[in-house]
Amino acid sequence: MKAILLAGMIGIWATGAMAHSPLDATTPANEAIVTEMPTEVLMNFKGDIRLTRVAITHADTHSMDMDLGEQTAFTQEFALPMHDMGAGTYVIEWRGLGVDGHALNGTFSFTVE
Amino acid sequence: MPDAFGLAAIVTKFALYLGVMTATGTVMATLMFRLDRTRGLAAAFAVLGLAATILAFSLRGANLTGDLSGMTDPEMLGLLWTTPVGTALLLRLVGLGMLIAGLFMGRVGAWVSALGGVLAIWSFDHVGHISSRDTTLLDIALTLHLLTVALWIGVLTPLKRLASLPDTFNMAANVGHRFGVVATATVPALIIVGGYMGYQLVGSFTALIGTGYGQALIIKVLLIGCLLGLAAANKLRFIPALRAGDPAAASHLSKSISVEWLVILAVLGTTAFLTTHLTLPA
Repeated sequence: MKAILLAGMIGIWATGAMAHSPLDATTPANEAIVTEMPTEVLMNFKGDIRLTRVAITHADTHSMDMDLGEQTAFTQEFALPMHDMGAGTYVIEWRGLGVDGHALNGTFSFTVE
Repeated sequence: MPDAFGLAAIVTKFALYLGVMTATGTVMATLMFRLDRTRGLAAAFAVLGLAATILAFSLRGANLTGDLSGMTDPEMLGLLWTTPVGTALLLRLVGLGMLIAGLFMGRVGAWVSALGGVLAIWSFDHVGHISSRDTTLLDIALTLHLLTVALWIGVLTPLKRLASLPDTFNMAANVGHRFGVVATATVPALIIVGGYMGYQLVGSFTALIGTGYGQALIIKVLLIGCLLGLAAANKLRFIPALRAGDPAAASHLSKSISVEWLVILAVLGTTAFLTTHLTLPA
């Protein structure tokens, strides 16, 4: 009985980790390889959301928070201006609030050759 | 796997459930079974519920910024206040405030406390997986489900206390018997309502087996099966024996209630994990 409960809990733990995915699509796409640095990153969500924090990490070294000063509404589409930090992998970590009050978060990345 | 804030949110949600359900249940049981000396118990769990309410709201702020600053960030907390999370916060603060105030207001206060408890329980209709479905029937089902569970939880500690002193064995038998009579209606309702909500939220056998949410629900149902077994032993064996004057039954009843409490804590913990960390099957 204990073993069954334990296996169940581990299963839940593992599947739960990948449960939240409210982000429909991004441009550049997740794990895309592009030849030129994009001037902005587009994020499309499945429902209305208000972004509360977006952090960009470049090549696992430089990390900076994006200015969300103009993002003050609940909406599905966001265009965030990008700063060129050179070639390498950019990891974008975002956090936000759904209109139903749920805190949401996620990560995506792309690589500039 | 949840991050540090996710884990803190699960623990806080567990404390919230424990505080709100036990405080409200104690007040309901006191009214229904005319129990004595339950004020301290109800007040303590209401204070736990209040603390967890505030901490849970604050932690949601931290979830929005990803660091501790969000817990006190006026912009983040103000943003949350405009959503159903803010409505739930208000209902819990007012409800638990009324519950505590009612404890010190004499006979009428018992009804003020009960109304406060119902308000606090109703707050759960405003946030979470049920509220996202936006159907009145599910809202009513959840409120009924929670009130029934609260009464069950609320009667346990006073009953255990009565069963621990020979002077109050008779009263323990009497309260246990009356709760058993109430339970013949509330427990089937609990099962039907719980089954209905589970079906509405999970939707299929495949989702029940194949998703984390469904699996957590299975664990919850298994735990509730254990609870029903203990409750049946109380109702069919220990309470009748205690009514017949067998003092050993009091000790059995007391031990059975302790185990019931442990299982209830496991149920509340599983529910906190279910409602905080897992999403509904698509």
